[in-house]
Amino acid sequence: MGSYDPSFAKEVFENVDFGDEIKMCMQCGVCAASCPLSLQMDHSPRQIFTLIRAGKREEVLGSQAIMLCTSCYTCEVRCPRKIPVIDVMHGLANYALKHDFVPRKDTANFGGKFWDQIYRIGRIDEKDLSRRYFFAEGIIEGIKGLLGFSDIGLRLFLHKRIKPLPERKIKGIISLRKMLDKAEKMRGRGGASV
Amino acid sequence: MSDIQTTNQSILVVGGGMSGITAALEAAEAGYDVVLVEKNPYLGGRVAQLHQYFPKLCPPNCGLEINFKRMRINPKIRFFTMAEVEKISGEEGDYDVGIKISPRYVNEKCTCCGKCTEVCEVELGNPFNFGMDKIKAAYLPHEFAFPMRYVMDPSIAGTEEGKKCHDACEYGAIDLDMSETHFDLKVGAIVWAAGWEPYDASKVEYYGFGEYKNVITNVMLERLASFNGPTEGKILRPSDGKTVKTVAFIQCAGSRDENHLPYCSGICCLASMKQATYIREQYPDCDVSIFFIDIRALDRLEDFYTKVQEDEKITFIKSKIANITEDEETGALMLEGENTNTGEQIRMNFDLVVLATGMVPNKINTAPSPNVSCDEYGFLTYDPEKAGIYGAGCVRRPTDVASSVQDATAAALKAIQSIARR
Ligand SMILES: Cc1cc2nc3c(=O)[nH]c(=O)nc-3n(C[C@H](O)[C@H](O)[C@H](O)COP(=O)(O)OP(=O)(O)OC[C@H]3O[C@@H](n4cnc5c(N)ncnc54)[C@H](O)[C@@H]3O)c2cc1C
Ligand code: SF4
Ligand code: SF4
Ligand code: SF4
Ligand code: SF4
Repeated sequence: MGSYDPSFAKEVFENVDFGDEIKMCMQCGVCAASCPLSLQMDHSPRQIFTLIRAGKREEVLGSQAIMLCTSCYTCEVRCPRKIPVIDVMHGLANYALKHDFVPRKDTANFGGKFWDQIYRIGRIDEKDLSRRYFFAEGIIEGIKGLLGFSDIGLRLFLHKRIKPLPERKIKGIISLRKMLDKAEKMRGRGGASV
Repeated sequence: MSDIQTTNQSILVVGGGMSGITAALEAAEAGYDVVLVEKNPYLGGRVAQLHQYFPKLCPPNCGLEINFKRMRINPKIRFFTMAEVEKISGEEGDYDVGIKISPRYVNEKCTCCGKCTEVCEVELGNPFNFGMDKIKAAYLPHEFAFPMRYVMDPSIAGTEEGKKCHDACEYGAIDLDMSETHFDLKVGAIVWAAGWEPYDASKVEYYGFGEYKNVITNVMLERLASFNGPTEGKILRPSDGKTVKTVAFIQCAGSRDENHLPYCSGICCLASMKQATYIREQYPDCDVSIFFIDIRALDRLEDFYTKVQEDEKITFIKSKIANITEDEETGALMLEGENTNTGEQIRMNFDLVVLATGMVPNKINTAPSPNVSCDEYGFLTYDPEKAGIYGAGCVRRPTDVASSVQDATAAALKAIQSIARR
């Protein structure tokens, strides 16, 4: 590798929505370890931010992590520097799409399944979600994929991170669906700004 | 008490911790009349609760004792415990202050025979040990308390229990008729040295303090390690009293965090390293992990950091822990974070977790507040335009004892100048 190249960082600070917010990141790693999708992401938000500083353009804009962020807010409420991680991740995703970095199919798939499940039961059932995600490609691929992850699944289970029984619907599922429908409609109209 | 006479040549020092004691002594030894007020029933402040001092790892009581001796022989200092300042009015060189003294119910005849404690059956959470054990409602605040005198809790003063203690005292030292007293003083300058409070760790809710028994704070660990602490110096797990094989320190627990204290509390890295060394001394087989963002050990204190790193059973891991989960059966704690050097996700189990919580300054609390300047976090700053009231020690910045003492000496000089200017 050649010498330090700040040009990509500059590109992000200037062109990506909320891109300059990452200047405040102190690389503590709280976002990474808070993220419920950290196991699926190729790079944690912290890693994305440091890769930007390191000038790794292809690696950042081609990363599925920026597409995977589900705006769950866990990292954002905990970030000690109050960095709007979600806005940065979405800013990067938009920027990547604009520059023809096509998100990987399975990433889009995962997002879809995540949404469907929230719509169905109002919460995430990790077992069910990963099953649906892995089987989206067909039975054989699904079994292969699941086997590859079985150790993680088992560990999650042992640490009581996954409950053996399916999750039940949350209490306010009807009102949640109404909200989601409305959000969907607003998105159809070209995105909501809150 | 209210027979005390002061003039606008006198100095008031608020807070009897290391900073306040130092400011009072320096001014008194320079020939000025000093009145010191301390809200606890004893002097010494937070330092009295520490097990050891970094970086020399000596017992803090020895340094305190030297200062108490200087106080005892100096007639220029008068001090009041269980005392607080209620009001401050006036200006540089001419202040009127109101002092409130809460009843101790025990007078100077107390010989510390302990009879009152023996007969008393009412128990309270022990504030000196952060509620980790109980004390009787008639008690000595701690073994090295200065002044060495018992206290009765107001909750029993008017009850049968209080009377029982009174009757047990052979020296007529218990006075159940004591009540709150108030008096006014004239002073020319004020040194505010009210110190700090530990940040409330339960506010960092993903660490489960208050919910998980084996998650404690650094100030609690000082008490657990102290020979006059709740476990007589044995560092044991609060959940089951077992010894510890693995201990984690979580640095910046609530400090350097825009959601909590945005500033660095300055001393908690050193405090954790000190604590790691005394844990290792007590348990030669114990593995200690220190999870940090960066280690802050300035100037010569870096030598201490270098020394601690040489211990192969103390591991420094660059990661701010983002989550703790408790195994309800064993009380073990699982820590999650990202090792920011390697990018690996961390999931490690520990017997005991110590949160390195930071310091919150005790601001001037009189109403109305006098004209002083503070920074955005509530630490007192020095503004020549607002001379007359000076901060000393941790009310000015979170720092160690050595710097507090230096700062207090400077504050004493400033207070003397305020008087000399008149
Ligand atoms: C876990 C931990 C370990 C530490 N270990 C070390 C160490 O090893 N070495 C070291 O050098 N430093 C150490 N420190 C730092 C040390 O505790 C401080 O530097 C020291 O306490 C500062 O003294 P102070 O007098 O400014 O404040 P304090 O010790 O807080 O004293 C202030 C006093 O003022 C009183 N007070 C408060 N409000 C009022 C009021 N309104 N009216 C009257 N009185 C009031 C308080 O009761 C108290 O007695 C440690 C800190 C922590 C958190
Ligand atoms: S939590 Fe915030 S400061 Fe810490 S690494 Fe993530 S973005 Fe950076
Ligand atoms: S907001 Fe996005 S990046 Fe942050 S924790 Fe949730 S999914 Fe992960
Ligand atoms: S108050 Fe009386 S009984 Fe209690 S310790 Fe003092 S002298 Fe003894
Ligand atoms: S001294 Fe260390 S632990 Fe304390 S706030 Fe500063 S960096 Fe964090």
